[in-house]
Amino acid sequence: MIEVLRKVLEGAVDRLHHQITTYLPPLLAALALIAVAWAIALLARWIVYRIFKGLAIDKFLRQSGVAFLVDPSGRLRATRIVGETVYWGIVLTGFLLGVNVFDTDLTSQMVQSFVFLLPKLMVAGLILLGGAWLGYYLGRSMLVWAVNENLPSPRRLAVVVRVLIIFVAVVAAADQLNFARTVFLAAFIILVGGVVLAGSLAVGLSASGVRQLLEARPRASGESEERSLWSHL
Amino acid sequence: MAQLSMPEEARRAAEVIRRADIVIGIPSYNNARTIGHVVRAASAGLAKYFPQLTAVIINSDGGSTDGTREAVLSARVDDGHLMLLSTPMLAAHRLSFPYHGVPGKGSAFRLVFQMAEQLDAKACAVVDSDLRSITPEWIDLLIRPVLFAGFDFVAPYYHRHKYDGTITNSIVYPLTRMLYGVAVRQPIGGEFGVSARLVKRYLERKDWETDVARFGIDIWLTTIAIAEGFRVCQSFLGAKLHDAKDPGSDLSAMLTQVTGSVFALMQEYAPIWRRWKGSVPAELFGFRFDVGLDPIQVNVERMLDAFRRGCHELGDVWKLALDPPTLSAVRALAAGLPEDGARFHLNDELWTDAVLQFAYAYRTHPLARGTILRSLTPLYLARVASFVRETENLVAAEVEEKIESLCLTFEERKPELIARWNGESVPEGAGRPHRNGQDQHPAGKAKLEVTND
Repeated sequence: MIEVLRKVLEGAVDRLHHQITTYLPPLLAALALIAVAWAIALLARWIVYRIFKGLAIDKFLRQSGVAFLVDPSGRLRATRIVGETVYWGIVLTGFLLGVNVFDTDLTSQMVQSFVFLLPKLMVAGLILLGGAWLGYYLGRSMLVWAVNENLPSPRRLAVVVRVLIIFVAVVAAADQLNFARTVFLAAFIILVGGVVLAGSLAVGLSASGVRQLLEARPRASGESEERSLWSHL
Repeated sequence: MAQLSMPEEARRAAEVIRRADIVIGIPSYNNARTIGHVVRAASAGLAKYFPQLTAVIINSDGGSTDGTREAVLSARVDDGHLMLLSTPMLAAHRLSFPYHGVPGKGSAFRLVFQMAEQLDAKACAVVDSDLRSITPEWIDLLIRPVLFAGFDFVAPYYHRHKYDGTITNSIVYPLTRMLYGVAVRQPIGGEFGVSARLVKRYLERKDWETDVARFGIDIWLTTIAIAEGFRVCQSFLGAKLHDAKDPGSDLSAMLTQVTGSVFALMQEYAPIWRRWKGSVPAELFGFRFDVGLDPIQVNVERMLDAFRRGCHELGDVWKLALDPPTLSAVRALAAGLPEDGARFHLNDELWTDAVLQFAYAYRTHPLARGTILRSLTPLYLARVASFVRETENLVAAEVEEKIESLCLTFEERKPELIARWNGESVPEGAGRPHRNGQDQHPAGKAKLEVTND
């Protein structure tokens, strides 16, 4: 009985020893890698901050107008964006290297999937960012135009433009990631088709009304009388 | 970018004529009603005032379909040469029309200047083809200061109705004067006299195909002449009466083109205008006399409606350009606006700050320039409405005093603009809360200082 118990305990200790000798060194190596990567990331971020501040990059970007392309409020700082990107890039790389140290099927698959997915994720992210920016930009243009043309509900028109463009970006991003592409594509086709149909019906049903409105507009607003002699220039 | 060289027909014509002392350019587009009179006046002016000199009149047409060419030919010019040329334009440019002037006016001017250089002309003048009030004296007044007084650029000086030329009075004149230190009262007048030296400089420029030269050729000519230190003067031409403008023309687009041109040139010449403080008037030639002017009707209520609407809808866009105190003041103005718009007043300080902040935003938001400039329209209409209300019972001289006061306010604000442009903190007093009351600046005497930094 004692012999059996001893064997069981020895087996457990052997397995523990085996597991420790198998997994502890890679775990320690992984932790060391992550710690080193984290330290390098901190250092790299500090260096980027110093370099960008030394070169007054933010001031240059603000004065040249490039900063406002990314953030119209102008509050976003390139130093922070680049610094944080470098920091998280290095930390992520360290983490992947750490995971890879275990050299198991699971970890290899994880790293492989991530490496393959990363470019697609980045492209999809860029598409979404670009779409959001373009939607914001064109929506704003539509708003100003509608206000100057005295069109009804200018804000709604601007929102429609913005939503349409952002939706197109979402469809493109989903296609890039191969995520529910048929659902998004179908929704997109239905939406565009609906807009075109609504527009066609509106123009077709009220073509004469539109014509009358266009013909009457300058007179109704007193424009022709006012501009006949008035030159702004 | 595609460049346009001198067309073959122009080159051949220049070879035949060989030399001319004076070149008069008349760009046109569907001006059959008025161009005959303009050509006759130009021809008579040359014959009367410069009989001893050889001259050529060049009509550069942008593709008229109303018989403008026939009208020019039937003008029966007795002396000198009359040349009809087609304005050389790129295909894309034929599709984009300016909202004022003639399509391809910049290209037409370029052709006239090329001909002037080719013919070794001593002086060149350009006049609009829609003028009804041009007389032979205009040619003398535009050419004589160049030929006999050594000036390089002659700008027009007209009597205009107090409500006429509102973009000129409220933006272009005060801003140009503040920036470059020379008071040219009609910087976008349309009639100019130019010396051979300045013609050469214009032709050396590489930006003939840009929007500034295409849509803002008048301010382009004036700004280059002043900013690059050419001798500039003005000639009093009397009243400017021209054909009725197209009532459908788009104010917002016109404002965008004109202010966009001024702001673009402002960027190019920043190293120069940062040196000037104050201003001096450009010398004025010609005998000043009073003329009768056609009355002008303006609809103030409609302008104020546009302003109300703009304030309600465009706050987010204005945030891109206006500082918080300026935006608050504009909003307060709209909030306190009485229904009938009586006693509405957008003071000089607030208007000046708004214009200068839009100019700066034009620089800092390169991709949103069009939107920002277009969003200025409701504010501009508010300023015009305020100006009309204030000057309802004023005579011309008093109205000029008001404009002078606005110019001085612009000049007073220049250090803030320079600081902003340099990326420095804006000096004390800037960003002050705007009080919407009497303008703070009495009409005073202009002066000019130059700083060496």
